[in-house]
Amino acid sequence: MSQPPAIQIDNLAIRYDGKTLLSDFSLRLESGQKVTLSGRSGSGKSTVLRCILGFVIPDEGAIYINGERLTGSSVWTLRQQIAYVAQEPLLGSGSVREILERPFTYRANAKKRENLSRIPELFDRFTLPGDLIHKNIELLSGGEKQRVAIISAELLDRRIFLLDEASSALDRISKQAVNEFFCDRRDLSVLSVSHEPEQFFCTDRIFELSPGSGGDVR
Amino acid sequence: MNTVEIPTLSLVASYALLIFPLGLMLWYRVPIIGQTVLAVVRMTVQLLFVGLYLQVVFDLNNFWLTAAWLIVMVAVADLSIARGSGMRLRYLIVPLFLAVFLGTAIPTSFFLGPILRRPHLLDAQYAIPIAGMILGNCLRADIIGLSSFYKSIHERQKAFHHALAQGASLMEATLPFLRDAFQSALAPTIATIATIGLVSLPGMMTGVILGGANPMTAIKYQIAIMLAILSGTAITVFLAIRMTMKSSFTAYGILDDRIFKV
Repeated sequence: MSQPPAIQIDNLAIRYDGKTLLSDFSLRLESGQKVTLSGRSGSGKSTVLRCILGFVIPDEGAIYINGERLTGSSVWTLRQQIAYVAQEPLLGSGSVREILERPFTYRANAKKRENLSRIPELFDRFTLPGDLIHKNIELLSGGEKQRVAIISAELLDRRIFLLDEASSALDRISKQAVNEFFCDRRDLSVLSVSHEPEQFFCTDRIFELSPGSGGDVR
Repeated sequence: MNTVEIPTLSLVASYALLIFPLGLMLWYRVPIIGQTVLAVVRMTVQLLFVGLYLQVVFDLNNFWLTAAWLIVMVAVADLSIARGSGMRLRYLIVPLFLAVFLGTAIPTSFFLGPILRRPHLLDAQYAIPIAGMILGNCLRADIIGLSSFYKSIHERQKAFHHALAQGASLMEATLPFLRDAFQSALAPTIATIATIGLVSLPGMMTGVILGGANPMTAIKYQIAIMLAILSGTAITVFLAIRMTMKSSFTAYGILDDRIFKV
């Protein structure tokens, strides 16, 4: 039996304050695929990601994650398959270690706690110094926070990544490390949004969104 | 009890004390004279009505009449909390009523039963003033607790969504906000408890002393009522937040902004 797409969006329409932000928007992200949504500010890129997480409820259309329709009751388990990395990740307060450990206090992630032993290996992979683990998160640069957010998602075994301008604050070396991570991992499905084409991670396809527009990514 | 009665003429004479605030307002042209006179008139009329009504309730000392009066008190508090917290009534009214009712009923029953050992749990002379004192404090605490909880989730929406995106349940994602709201709501009561007797003689103690009891009896009443107030505020704030959550969040765990008055 063939694997369902990691993300399938059918005929999405979003209106806000009487204006159409998106209309008749469809997208199919196969498992392991990397797709980038590009477009100017206000074209609705980030809103698509927020819809997939269930933080924005579309006026029309349906979203499926690994074949299961996103609804008010399924969203709680479906969110456990998705990682969201924002341009300026708001990771909470405390040290980096506390930030990485916090999601494991949630019942849904408690069984994956042993993954925390991978922290040194992942710090190395993402070119972060080991002593950063004790630092207060607020003292980290934007690029360091983005990499901590990706490490957190990897520790939680997420297989679908939603990246919202997630490499915008990275320097050349760390951008390369992040790029290599996503290129090597054929099991990860990535939907990234960016307004700069050079930030795309091993993208299989790029889709241009314009304000109020719809379209298909198949 | 050997309470000294205030003759009606003497009570009328007590309005002479208004010479000082009204005189100062006139002299310095502070524009709150009308407001002050209106407040004094309102207070007088309200208290006269309550006095007359309570006299009837106390004389009859009927279980159902006392219960009905307590329910009216809770309902009025319910409306005041919804107004004071800046939230829409229709989202809150039922869960808030239950939270305030339980927060008042549990410590009041404990006070009247095991502490005062009243033969009838709804003995009007005791139940109404004690429930009133607990309710007044619950009201203040609920306004602080509810507005702090919902406004901080609204203001720190990204952090809240981040927790949901990381797999937190609604209860887990709201826990830090509940902690902060609980702390803010209980802080005034805890501060009052810590300084009671040092800054001023508390209301209940003063009342018991004026009623003719000795200071040690008054202190016992005061300690018991402070513990009942702390218990009542903790119960009602926790229940008010948790019970209103069902109507304040969508099935997706998103805070429904319609709960706030625009």
